[in-house]
Amino acid sequence: MQSADPNVLTFMFRGSTEERDVFSRAVDLFQEREGIQVNIISTSADQYATKLQTAILGNRAPDVFYFDAARATAYMTNGVLADISPYVESTSLPVDDIWPDGLDLYRFDGDRRGQGPIYGMPKDLGPFSFGYNKTLFEEMGVEPPDPDVPLDWDQFLERCAQLTGDRAGSGQTDTWGTSVNVGAEIHAYMWSNGADWLDEELRTVTVDTPEFAEALQYIVDLREVHGVTPSINDTEGLDGYQRWLRGQIGFFPVAPWDLTLYRTLDFEFDLCPYPVGATGKPATTIGSLGIGVSANSSKPDLAAELAMFLACDPEAQAIIVGEGQTIPNTRSHAAEWVKDTSVEPQNKQEYIDIVEDYGRFVPDMLTYTPEWIHAFHTNLQPVLEGRRDVVEYLGETQRTMQGFLDGGHEQFRIDQEANS
Amino acid sequence: MSTSTMTAEGAATATTAPVGAKRGGAQGRRGNIHRPERIWGRIFITPPVVGFALFALAPLLFSFYASFTHWNGLSAPLFSGTDNFRTMAADPQFWQSLGNTVFLMLGIPIGLAISLALALALNRRIPGRGAFRVIYYLPGVSSVAAISILWQWALNGDFGLLNQLLGMVGIEGPNWLAEKAWVKPALIIMGVWKGIGFSTLLYLAALQSVPRNLLEAAMLDGAGAWRRFLHVTAPMLSPVTFFLVVTGIIGGAQMFAEINIMTPTGGPEFGSATIVWYIWQQGFQNLKLGYATAMSLVLGLMIFVVTAIQFYLNSRNVFTVE
Repeated sequence: MQSADPNVLTFMFRGSTEERDVFSRAVDLFQEREGIQVNIISTSADQYATKLQTAILGNRAPDVFYFDAARATAYMTNGVLADISPYVESTSLPVDDIWPDGLDLYRFDGDRRGQGPIYGMPKDLGPFSFGYNKTLFEEMGVEPPDPDVPLDWDQFLERCAQLTGDRAGSGQTDTWGTSVNVGAEIHAYMWSNGADWLDEELRTVTVDTPEFAEALQYIVDLREVHGVTPSINDTEGLDGYQRWLRGQIGFFPVAPWDLTLYRTLDFEFDLCPYPVGATGKPATTIGSLGIGVSANSSKPDLAAELAMFLACDPEAQAIIVGEGQTIPNTRSHAAEWVKDTSVEPQNKQEYIDIVEDYGRFVPDMLTYTPEWIHAFHTNLQPVLEGRRDVVEYLGETQRTMQGFLDGGHEQFRIDQEANS
Repeated sequence: MSTSTMTAEGAATATTAPVGAKRGGAQGRRGNIHRPERIWGRIFITPPVVGFALFALAPLLFSFYASFTHWNGLSAPLFSGTDNFRTMAADPQFWQSLGNTVFLMLGIPIGLAISLALALALNRRIPGRGAFRVIYYLPGVSSVAAISILWQWALNGDFGLLNQLLGMVGIEGPNWLAEKAWVKPALIIMGVWKGIGFSTLLYLAALQSVPRNLLEAAMLDGAGAWRRFLHVTAPMLSPVTFFLVVTGIIGGAQMFAEINIMTPTGGPEFGSATIVWYIWQQGFQNLKLGYATAMSLVLGLMIFVVTAIQFYLNSRNVFTVE
């Protein structure tokens, strides 16, 4: 996929049609500035991973490419990604202005992430914020959440109960307090209750704790006991996301990549912190995608410059952020961005708080393979439907997850030895 | 006498010698005549042979080697002996996905029975049979991805077409794709629907080639409609049935796209994960290409053994027009 021409780079990335258009325009700017040609290969999100894997397998990785943060350790260990630290140190681009956690995510010292040389730039940080339908709150006469003081679980349940009802007067429930997508949101509930997936060394699965069980039980009870989220049948008909788009859900996640669509909806929305468990402190996830340089690139300097340009050049960021798909990647840009009240959400500060204060990376982004966390969800359905005891499930699944985590570590060890 | 004998002998000898000489000459000429053909023949078969060697045989040999390695798809494979095969034997998800795959093959006999019934109906002079043939065949030429998305909606627990139809007769349909007990039957229903057109078409062609004289002879012998079907038509259809069963099992063992689209995480409690879906997941999601290759090899071997058994059984039972 790489060109032999010293003035031609190949850049492979993914995204929706809008995202691809935005990044293509940013790349055009880079071409003009550097006087070189960048060949773009873009695919839809679901095809990307397989296509990139095949290119790497065939030793034909593009010069610059997006990569999933959960693959980063494997790519760094196996010599797929180039160490771009020397270029980071010598560039005139404002790399230091990038969110520090974002940069650290792509550091690797050969053993642990978060320290050592830099192997990629964060394409963005994706704070997975909670939000609410302001219009529905007004219609149902419910007090909106305070943007600065998170609700505790009891208060949250109370608001959800007030929001659940028959708005259309059809004799059937047609509005709900919330709709929990467990795969995406369990982190927020569990972390704020003092639980975690793994220990600090990322070696032991810790889902079998009372704090974790309490958080999962709370989520199950929202539907099975309190009925403040759509039932299984309701979500099978139209899932929570679709019901949110129709204005039927009170509280729902509002991630930056949703903003373009959400701004076209018939209701107003804003951001608020996730409800808090025993710690009293909100929590949620931060996603990220990396922009890396192939270790085989014959033009690593130019390739690294493109990666850094997309991550932090002010003009490029203006194009990328302007479309509402992402928050600014640099702190100075973000400080200006939150002041803009002309477009929703008004409380953009919540995104910044997540990135700077209470957001976390899901640890499957840091382990060698993500198989262990998939195992958590494989047999979860009966638990969510209240047909299986939460504590019993967590005890059993901990052992399965631990097996996969150990397997991943073994795989890491073998690959470390082979590549050392 | 002797002269004539001699003449005859001489003639015989004389005849023999030139014939021998002639035969050798003819052979030589024939060899010369066919030589360019042989050369051209070899030239023509070279591309498929090279193609087979490069794109089938070489990958097969490499995958045989790769199945004995620790290979993550990012760096060179490392020989690991029989590790992958031992892991496989102890991997519950491998066995579950294999079991799911075999379960989904229950759709093959169901599909064949329905196809045969439809073919028998379409073989009669019923009005609009041409239109019916097209309608039944349409799913067979449609994209698997499109069909899978269509059925995802049709199987929707709340307002899906299937549950609406069941609701008309007072049955509350299950949440097909979200319940472990129903996800496989749902996929079987879809598979039968998709494959029925092709099977019906083949059965129809086979029905129309059943010699009428055999049926008439049976009728003259006093055989009724059922006995004519059982003892004349059904045996004559056995080659088609054999073909459909063999291709059905081979295709069923490789089911992937429907699963990946309709139940992208392998279904409730891994209830719809097929073996090929699991192989893909291990190879491309979990960076275990060596393990995935070992599973592929075992799957290939299983398909080969099952097909060989089918060929053996068929060789003893098959009927042909000849």
